[in-house]
Amino acid sequence: MKNKRRKLMIAGAMAPALLSLPGRALAQASDHYKGKLVIVNIAGSAAGGHTRFARMLAPYLEKYLGAKELRLVNMPGGGGLKAANHIWRLKPGANEVYFGNVSTLLLANMAGSPGATFDPTKFMFLGRATSEPRVLTVGGKSAIRSVADIQKLKRPFVFPSQGTDEDFYTMAVLSDALGFQLKAVTGYEGNADTSLAVIKGDGDGHITGWSESLGAIRSGDKYPVMMVTSQPSPDYPKIPVVTQIAPAAKKGVVQAMATILETHRSYIGPPTMDPAAVAAFRAAVNAAMKDPALQAESTKGERLLSPMDGAVQQKAMVELARSSTALSPILKAAVKAIQ
Amino acid sequence: MIEAIGSGLAALLTPQALLFLFIGVIYGLVIGILPGLGGVVAMALLLPFTYGFETAATLALLLGAHIATIWGDSVTSILFSVPGSAKGLALCFDGYPMTKQGKAKRALAASATGALMGGIIGAIFLALCIPLIRPVILALGPSEYLMMALWGLTVIATFSEGSLMKGLTASVLGVLVAFIGMDVVTATPRFTFGSEFLMDGISFPVAMIGLFAVSEMMKMSIRGTPIIDRSLVREDSTVWQGICDAVGHWWLVIRSSLLGLWIGVLPGVGASVAGLAAYAQAAQTSKTPERFGKGAVEGVIAPDATMGANEGGGLMPTLAFGIPGGESMAILLVAFIGLGVVPGPEMLTKNLDLVFSMVWIIVLANIAVTVIGLGITPWLARLPSLQANLMVPIVLSVCFVGAYATRGRIEDVVVAAVFGVVGYLMDKYRYSRANFVIGMVLAVMIERNLHISLNLYGNDFLLDRPIALAMLLFVVFTAALPFLRSWRRRRAAGRGA
Repeated sequence: MKNKRRKLMIAGAMAPALLSLPGRALAQASDHYKGKLVIVNIAGSAAGGHTRFARMLAPYLEKYLGAKELRLVNMPGGGGLKAANHIWRLKPGANEVYFGNVSTLLLANMAGSPGATFDPTKFMFLGRATSEPRVLTVGGKSAIRSVADIQKLKRPFVFPSQGTDEDFYTMAVLSDALGFQLKAVTGYEGNADTSLAVIKGDGDGHITGWSESLGAIRSGDKYPVMMVTSQPSPDYPKIPVVTQIAPAAKKGVVQAMATILETHRSYIGPPTMDPAAVAAFRAAVNAAMKDPALQAESTKGERLLSPMDGAVQQKAMVELARSSTALSPILKAAVKAIQ
Repeated sequence: MIEAIGSGLAALLTPQALLFLFIGVIYGLVIGILPGLGGVVAMALLLPFTYGFETAATLALLLGAHIATIWGDSVTSILFSVPGSAKGLALCFDGYPMTKQGKAKRALAASATGALMGGIIGAIFLALCIPLIRPVILALGPSEYLMMALWGLTVIATFSEGSLMKGLTASVLGVLVAFIGMDVVTATPRFTFGSEFLMDGISFPVAMIGLFAVSEMMKMSIRGTPIIDRSLVREDSTVWQGICDAVGHWWLVIRSSLLGLWIGVLPGVGASVAGLAAYAQAAQTSKTPERFGKGAVEGVIAPDATMGANEGGGLMPTLAFGIPGGESMAILLVAFIGLGVVPGPEMLTKNLDLVFSMVWIIVLANIAVTVIGLGITPWLARLPSLQANLMVPIVLSVCFVGAYATRGRIEDVVVAAVFGVVGYLMDKYRYSRANFVIGMVLAVMIERNLHISLNLYGNDFLLDRPIALAMLLFVVFTAALPFLRSWRRRRAAGRGA
């Protein structure tokens, strides 16, 4: 009894230290990068959303990596393919990683895009920073108010798009799964352009990140029809979720698509990345995400975090590659249709 | 509304806001003068330093820097034929010939005064048009953007003097270069030869640095004399002449400013097209179009007035819909979110004082840029008379650093060098470099908007889009105007004889 009490007392005394162990262990793991220069290649322009997140995360990541400098380099182009190709070709020992939209890489590869010279599942997944839910919106004055309305249209659903990027592929999968005709009008310059086209009524609707359309939804310029996520969310309970609407035969395809979209903004490293470097980077990302100062900054700046451990992502990628084989022919057909 | 105008100005009259405006303007001038860097880079670099300050001060810093880059661009275009960004291209056409004729001070002063007048006229009309902004934006679409691009294309004839065939050949070459990369419509690689670098296309500012700046430096080093040899050409112009030029051409300034405002409101059209369209209307409505391309001061005033007014128009899609019309506006949107301001329809009703603060920032920043610009013009005008052995290494270094800075890729330095050789050969054999870049700027815009118009509205889209049809008739009329004038002159001369 005396021994048990003593053990409890020791355990009690050690508890605070044990509770802080993950943080300490993480700090130790980042010794791999101690005093080194780490380059984060952002797959987007200096003004884009990826850069905003990368800049917010950089000081915390630098701190937990213990790096001499964490340098952010913008590498826009090809919807992230250029940065991904760059990372794919890195020689062993290069302290460079990719930060940007991972779902685009997966989709481009499945669609057989000539710009994708990599196998996305072979990248080293180092941790997700955020995953913004995607929403299908229509114009505020549109007669369409639900997916059923889209299915009942006696003409194709006109979808203004930049080209073969993430929303194009997503829309192709939705059209196949939910059984409506789609007319993709490609060539728009960016999301601003496609948003205006939807608001004006030139196009029926498009897919964006939730925060991107939130202002227009609040002002009545856009109307949300469906969330393209794997799970319903308490933040928008009245908007149906694609995985609930899809017919049973197509649930698998839709689920795979939603899971791909949820990979969103992540850090990835080259396939040749040293396992010790992978472990240290993953630990540093995890530690940064738990930093109260970062969490406060993200809340204040409305750049919400939704972290996922890199090791968990890596396992999910293997599963995803298996389950998403049905997506490939749909995506290839969609690309062929606009060429 | 009058109350909002007053409170918008009052918010700016704090020591912090005025200081930030001044810092932004100085910083923007420096960034603008560096080739390859423009308003987007200026704002992106400032953004992390803006949190925690007054709303008006933050906007003064960002917008002040953005506006100052415009005249910064113009300076290098006029003095060295080095457009700092796509916006400054039209300034090379007549600004640089003026410098070579010993009229650098006059050109710089006309440019600064034109930009000031354009900025103020643009801001006034912007304030008056605020209630109409949303309906106007909603009424315009890809067909109208297509017409704007076609208008820019009509300027090709201005630079084809001597041989229309050579002028058209240069334009077609520009179009072909613009098509390098991923096809914007079908996402198919074009002319990329399996190169990943070429998949993103040839960067327009890099091509311009090569075609104009590098080729001019090649010419200068071969010749061994400065841009202006003071023993042959004296700098006999004055700053006052430039100011008088801009004020004297008030009707041109008003037309150009309204054009700039109009183009600014069209999201996605861009300031490079604004400069070209302004140049086109100045040349086509001039009674002596043959002077254009050879040092006509109107060719300097019109693009600057348009670009001065363009900034205010560019704010509108961002404010009215919360949709950024371009990269610089995307940065402004980030700043708004950081400040807790939500752009959208309510911005034009509930936050009208903030909108007017921005209008005032445009006015005050333009005044500050012009005062500083006119003050430093006499010193700037001396730069082109630097000896070639000093000038060539300095300008080439800045050019190649600028080419690298554009996208952070070493391949762009090679592209700038290649385009330098191309530009040198084109100039030597009298193929217009201006036509080359006009083809390059407008090709993708025309392709993109023609495709979307045909897809959305069908083959007879012009019948569905009355504004586009009216714009097309206007384009045809302005393109035909010089020919009509020439025909009338010949007829009058025939009667006289």
